[in-house]
Amino acid sequence: MHRGMHRGMHLGLRGRITIAVALVGLLLSTVLSVTTITVARTTLLDTREDALTRQALANSETLRPEIDTSEAAELQTLLSSLPDGGTPSVIVQTTTGEPVSVSIDTRYGIDVLPSELLDRVVEGRTTGIMRFESEGQPLVAVGIPLTERDASYFEVNTLDDINTAIRTLSVTLMVVTAFATILAMALGFWSSRYALQPLRRIGEAAESVALGQLDTRIDYEDYASDLDLAPLVANFNDMVSALQGRIDRDARFASDVSHELRSPLTTLNASIGVLLNNREQLPERSQQALDLLDLDMRRFTQLVEDLLEISRFDAGAVRLELDSVAIVPTVRAAVASMGGAALRVESDPALDDVVIACDRRRLVRILANYLDNAAKYADGATGVFVERHQPDDDRPATVQIAVEDDGPGVPEAERGRIFDRFNRGDQGGSRGMDLGVGLGLALAAEHARLQGGDVWVEDRHDGGQGARFVVELPLQEPGTADEPDDADDLASVTREEAESFALTGELPAIRIEQGGERA
Amino acid sequence: MGDNVRVGTRILYVEDDQRIRGSVKLALEDDGWQVDEAETGEDAIVNFDRQPSDVVLIDIMLPGIDGFEVCRSIRRRSDVPIIMVTARADTHDVVAGLEAGADDYMTKPLQPKELSARIRALLRRARPNQPGNPRLRFGDLEVVPSEGVVSRDGEQLHLTKTEFRLLVELANNPGKVFSREDLLEKVWGHGVFGDGRLVDVHVRRLRTKVEADPANPRHVVTVRGLGYKLQP
Repeated sequence: MHRGMHRGMHLGLRGRITIAVALVGLLLSTVLSVTTITVARTTLLDTREDALTRQALANSETLRPEIDTSEAAELQTLLSSLPDGGTPSVIVQTTTGEPVSVSIDTRYGIDVLPSELLDRVVEGRTTGIMRFESEGQPLVAVGIPLTERDASYFEVNTLDDINTAIRTLSVTLMVVTAFATILAMALGFWSSRYALQPLRRIGEAAESVALGQLDTRIDYEDYASDLDLAPLVANFNDMVSALQGRIDRDARFASDVSHELRSPLTTLNASIGVLLNNREQLPERSQQALDLLDLDMRRFTQLVEDLLEISRFDAGAVRLELDSVAIVPTVRAAVASMGGAALRVESDPALDDVVIACDRRRLVRILANYLDNAAKYADGATGVFVERHQPDDDRPATVQIAVEDDGPGVPEAERGRIFDRFNRGDQGGSRGMDLGVGLGLALAAEHARLQGGDVWVEDRHDGGQGARFVVELPLQEPGTADEPDDADDLASVTREEAESFALTGELPAIRIEQGGERA
Repeated sequence: MGDNVRVGTRILYVEDDQRIRGSVKLALEDDGWQVDEAETGEDAIVNFDRQPSDVVLIDIMLPGIDGFEVCRSIRRRSDVPIIMVTARADTHDVVAGLEAGADDYMTKPLQPKELSARIRALLRRARPNQPGNPRLRFGDLEVVPSEGVVSRDGEQLHLTKTEFRLLVELANNPGKVFSREDLLEKVWGHGVFGDGRLVDVHVRRLRTKVEADPANPRHVVTVRGLGYKLQP
């Protein structure tokens, strides 16, 4: 959940690498495209201007001896005889009156020529060339002064074709740039996969450590030659070794403490048992003292057991033992055994034949703690419900087992904290002397979370006064591999069984005694 | 208390901690048992050889030879009911103890009342008294509850009393599925929804004796998610 949030808020390393490579690709191809377009445009324009200039010079040479008239009609004929190049125009400066201007194409006559060019050629009598726009059309014009009759010769040519060519080229290059960027992205994505392979391996190793596989190590030899990764791998392995050592020490300590505490507890319990057997022979005040001793001895024993169990969770010394559990019959049997045969168990018919993979012993412990809790804070449970839940198709189905009571309930504000250690809630201490210290629900939470489940308390579903304690477990089909159907499988399970058994299997004896006495 | 305790039923209690031994002995004696003490495994074996007990109670952590070895040693001599007592939390004690031949286990701190109840259950079941069903046959397997005899292909098998009682319980209702809790209650007299692995280990032990191929059991079969049954 935590990780998911991070992933949503930031790009992953791989994403960042991919985007960086794509950006570099985009930048490079853009620079290349822009350069190409600029060079192409310049070259095309220069070539066009050169050609036009040469043509105009040649035409003006042809024209020069012929200009002996300022008659527009004759000039027109003269212009028509010139070889094709631009669109020729002639301006004759007559000394007498208005200049005569003739153009073979009226669209490109004297009117479109920029005044700057006119000034330069007609007035300044020097050759000039100029690019300009007229009515949105790109044009180029060359002007050459002709000495005869004070005339000037102009040729105008459109640059539309060049512009079209450049535009086509730009579009092509833009498409190429886009493709190059996508390609770079794909390349980055693909290559980062390999670049990040070691990180992924370290990540997987870390996850495996987190899941309790403390002997996980990364093979240093694989990375020994990599200057960047070798220290990381070495440090990772050292860290896991240190962690393993520490957890082992903690677990050993918990075990030692457990042994040291259990021995005197045995003596105390047995001695109190003897005293209780002979209670009638004691003076009354001694009997009262003995009863107090007995009650608190039980509380102390339970506290020690719960503390030892929770310390094993903290030390990471617990192992999940998945059994194939027919959920409904198991809950029924457990409730009948611990909560009394009269306690109602309602189950969803959809679960009747469902067998799930869960830690049966832990499930029973959770139920025991819930029933115990109901006995402490209400007059025992009023109902147990086994239901199938699947909020939507995308999420995996779960089994919810709920224990309801008709006690005072748990106020909204307390619900989050009630599963904390040593939290009795507001209801704590309100009733008798036999209250637990509040580790039962915390242990239930640990037992549930260890197998991917959850616990919470809510209002009773029938709206009645009281609390509804829920444990939710994944509705997970057991794999066929751990079916203890044959001796081989059993043999392979036994070692783990042994661990889980020995780690956490000591409690039933105490529960029996207390349950028996209470009932 | 102890109404059904035979007068003079002897318990051999092996425990090196003198205070625990003393207090538990007092409590057991209050319940009517006769308790012989042994401080070490060696003492226990000598003691047992001199005068066999009706029940043996062995603490696993002993100086010298450990509880498992004492258990194996006594099991070689006798099928007397054995209860292992364990305090260590981080070992395979329980299963190892059962593998060594123990019939039941208890964890410290021992509750004398519960201990007495377990001993009574072991002694009761050690003398099965099943009326009717004189001879039960399941393929190559034959069970005679009244005589405590099991044979496969005519050859008599040696079962401990717990294994025998477990088999008879299943055999009296062939095809019926017994949950681990059913069996814990009927065979071991455990009153609470407890740890089914006591049953699992015994079923495995039983299979190695009654099954021709323990890896593919034909008689004592697992019912997925529910428990065990005897295939009729």
